[in-house]
Amino acid sequence: MLKNNNLICFNSFFFLFFFMLINFFFFVYFIMNGLSVFFEWEIISFNSMSIVMSILLDWMSLLFMMFVSLISSVVIFYSKSYMNSELNLNRFIILVLMFVFSMVLLIISPNLISILLGWDGLGLISYCLVIYYQNLKSYNAGMLTALSNRIGDVMILMVICWVMNYGSWNYIFYFDFMKNDYVMFIISFMIIIAAMTKSAQIPFSSWLPAAMAAPTPVSALVHSSTLVTAGVYLLIRFNYLLIDMFFFKVLLFLSILTMFMSGISANYEFDLKKIIALSTLSQLGLMMSILSLGFPDIAFFHLLTHAMFKALLFMCAGVIIHMMNDIQDVRYMGGLSLYIPLTSLCLNISNLSLCGIPFLSGFYSKDLILEMVSFNSFNLMVFILFYLSTGLTVFYTFRLIMYVMINDFNLMMIYNLYDEDYIMLNSMFVLLFMSLLSGSFLSWFIFSYPYMIYLPFNLKLMVIYVSILGSILGFMVSNMGIYSLNKLLLSYNLSSFLCLMWFMPNLSTYGLSYIYLNFSQILFKNIDMGWSEIYSGKGIFNILKNYSVFYNIYQMNNFKIYLFSFILWFMILFIFFFI
Amino acid sequence: MLTNNNSNKMFFLFILFFSTLISISSNSWFGCWIGLEINLLSFIPLISNSKNLLSVETSLKYFLTQSLASINFLFMILIKFSLLKNFDMNNIISIMMNSSLLMKMGSAPFHFWFPNIVEGLSWMNNFMLMTWQKISPMILLSYYFNKNFLIFMIIMNLIIGSLGGLNQTSLRKLLAFSSINNLGWMIFSIMISENLWLFYFLIYSMMIFMMISLFFLMNMYFMNQLFINNMNFFIKLNLLINFLSLGGLPPFMGFMPKWIIINFLLINKFYFLTFIFMMTSLIIIYYYIRIIYSSFMFNYFKMKWVNLLMKNNMSLINLSSFISISSMILSTFIFM
Repeated sequence: MLKNNNLICFNSFFFLFFFMLINFFFFVYFIMNGLSVFFEWEIISFNSMSIVMSILLDWMSLLFMMFVSLISSVVIFYSKSYMNSELNLNRFIILVLMFVFSMVLLIISPNLISILLGWDGLGLISYCLVIYYQNLKSYNAGMLTALSNRIGDVMILMVICWVMNYGSWNYIFYFDFMKNDYVMFIISFMIIIAAMTKSAQIPFSSWLPAAMAAPTPVSALVHSSTLVTAGVYLLIRFNYLLIDMFFFKVLLFLSILTMFMSGISANYEFDLKKIIALSTLSQLGLMMSILSLGFPDIAFFHLLTHAMFKALLFMCAGVIIHMMNDIQDVRYMGGLSLYIPLTSLCLNISNLSLCGIPFLSGFYSKDLILEMVSFNSFNLMVFILFYLSTGLTVFYTFRLIMYVMINDFNLMMIYNLYDEDYIMLNSMFVLLFMSLLSGSFLSWFIFSYPYMIYLPFNLKLMVIYVSILGSILGFMVSNMGIYSLNKLLLSYNLSSFLCLMWFMPNLSTYGLSYIYLNFSQILFKNIDMGWSEIYSGKGIFNILKNYSVFYNIYQMNNFKIYLFSFILWFMILFIFFFI
Repeated sequence: MLTNNNSNKMFFLFILFFSTLISISSNSWFGCWIGLEINLLSFIPLISNSKNLLSVETSLKYFLTQSLASINFLFMILIKFSLLKNFDMNNIISIMMNSSLLMKMGSAPFHFWFPNIVEGLSWMNNFMLMTWQKISPMILLSYYFNKNFLIFMIIMNLIIGSLGGLNQTSLRKLLAFSSINNLGWMIFSIMISENLWLFYFLIYSMMIFMMISLFFLMNMYFMNQLFINNMNFFIKLNLLINFLSLGGLPPFMGFMPKWIIINFLLINKFYFLTFIFMMTSLIIIYYYIRIIYSSFMFNYFKMKWVNLLMKNNMSLINLSSFISISSMILSTFIFM
């Protein structure tokens, strides 16, 4: 029974869907004819800088806008039923719309000021959305999210300052000319750090699992496809600048480690949304690493296909959470494939697409990435960690499938598992359709000619080897019962290191603030409530009061003494100066 | 009854005004002394009221101090005339003349009689004592002053005026110490120019008039009488504004003379003196604000037997509030 009879969900769904269709048609036209359009509007011109508002429409931005608007339209339609009992649904939808607007601004802008507007808007609105359920956990999560994103904002602000050296903020014009300049060196460093904060790479990766305190539609839109890919998109745009720089290799190292770490940590998690968040983090690491190896279009391709199936996965998780009476713990679920067939269909397809099962959408991008890594000669560590992370992806995916769909149902003896919420299902079917077909569809559009890859037989089969290994391990690990010996606890230090995301959340929160809070307590006690009271606050008051009391006592005198003191003064003057 | 009626008062008041005019407009020191003596003689009947023992004692104290100062003044005039050709003695004689005039005014270090006497007088007599009685000694001071001695006296005035008032609960003594503090500002303004002194003095006497008239209307002599709830809002506001104005807080009237004097201080590089002026003003504002926020912002108790809700003539109070608040801005139109 729908409580909210408002039309904002339908209206915004139709508007965004229509926007998506427009983008799709323009994208097809532009990419077939090799067009790109650049609008520029000069707002004001100072001595040497001019503030212009410019819009760049080439196939990349149109395609990304199409995907963003599709996912957001579907998510808004989904949240009509998911957030049904929310009193302030208008506020929620308006926040989501503002988020989409900031993202679109980020996508179409070739100059840094509008990128900053979109970037800051994304960070701020994602904060508002994460703290949407107003409890303590959401507040903490929101603070972690906002402050991690804030570092990226500061970096982009500094880039704006440095780019003023070149006279304009349209960075795309300067790549070819200024590649070896010192200023570009600094700019590239800051841009990489900004992208790392937004896309949650290793020093800054603690906010992404914490941001799962947001409502599930928000996670589906924000933390799967738009916010976290903004960093990747920025680096794709800046790719010509960054390609030969040293920091790109640092980015490679950190993103590979991110991929590996989140794959391991997802295996220890029992919260449904956190597993999906860590899988997002792993795929982000994959995108960043293939970008830093020098293949920006493959990274973009994987970004788009990943957006599709990850949003679908989050929406299925939302249905499951609603059904299990808001329990997110995976150990309570089980056997759901028997009772909610349509939702488990979507869940299966998105999970298998994530693993890279042939001819689903994830296969096209992931397999292409792995084959490019094998074909070009890179590091041994790069090679090992890529394949290991792919195996880990399959591992946690199959573990998730076993826990949620195949094992026994663990919640209650008599329970009603209800799947027939057609609003949520219809929105998931749209994404299901795209998740099946977008891989092939995008590869036919984006890659005008296929990549030439020539691999030995065993190397080609490495993917299948690690996938099978991962799936077997996933089956075996999920058979834990109450009676099984938990060997994890025997190696407590190692397992807590691996499980708690290599202690990064602790470092980002407690580690950064403990020293300063301690020090400020010392300062407060000694100075604010200590010496500065003696020397300015109460101390001066006591001095004045004592003087005043002394004066009053001094004044209560005999009248004769006043007169006599006056005469005494004169006598002193007389004596000293007339004699 | 025959000795304390209005016609007597009018007569002595007239002679009081006239005596000051004699004193300041004479072209001989002797004439000045005559004016001072007539001033003393005509003020005594104004303040003595033979029915009240306290006011008799007060008038006697006043008489003794002022006459001692006048005698000294006369003596110094005569020494000055006799030693006219000996210019080495000029310094000393100016010091001595200044100190006798300072005692007449009630300035430090000869100020001990001033709070005592102010405590014994009624509000209107206090007004006379604090404003009119200061005119002739100040102008006589401006004819022959010793700069170093006076600066030292200014510092003592400021410090004693601010520190002495910290521990007072009687409103009259509070205004007495504030008057001593303002004497410091006024003596410095004499040293700059007489015009400036006149400006400061006029504004100061206007502020004192507004405060004293308000206290007179409400018949308040002590601080705990301020803490009543059923005071009319406009009277409260007016008193608040007047207190702040007397302390020298910016948008009000009392800030302007202080501002001009600080301007002159800084131009003539009296930096240390500026510091002392500032800090003592701070202490004075502190104890004004202490009175204000306790009495006008928190409610204490409601007295049921005094009706202070509406006085007969509110227009004077409103006018004085308006002048206090807006005169700084309006003055820019006058002195354009």
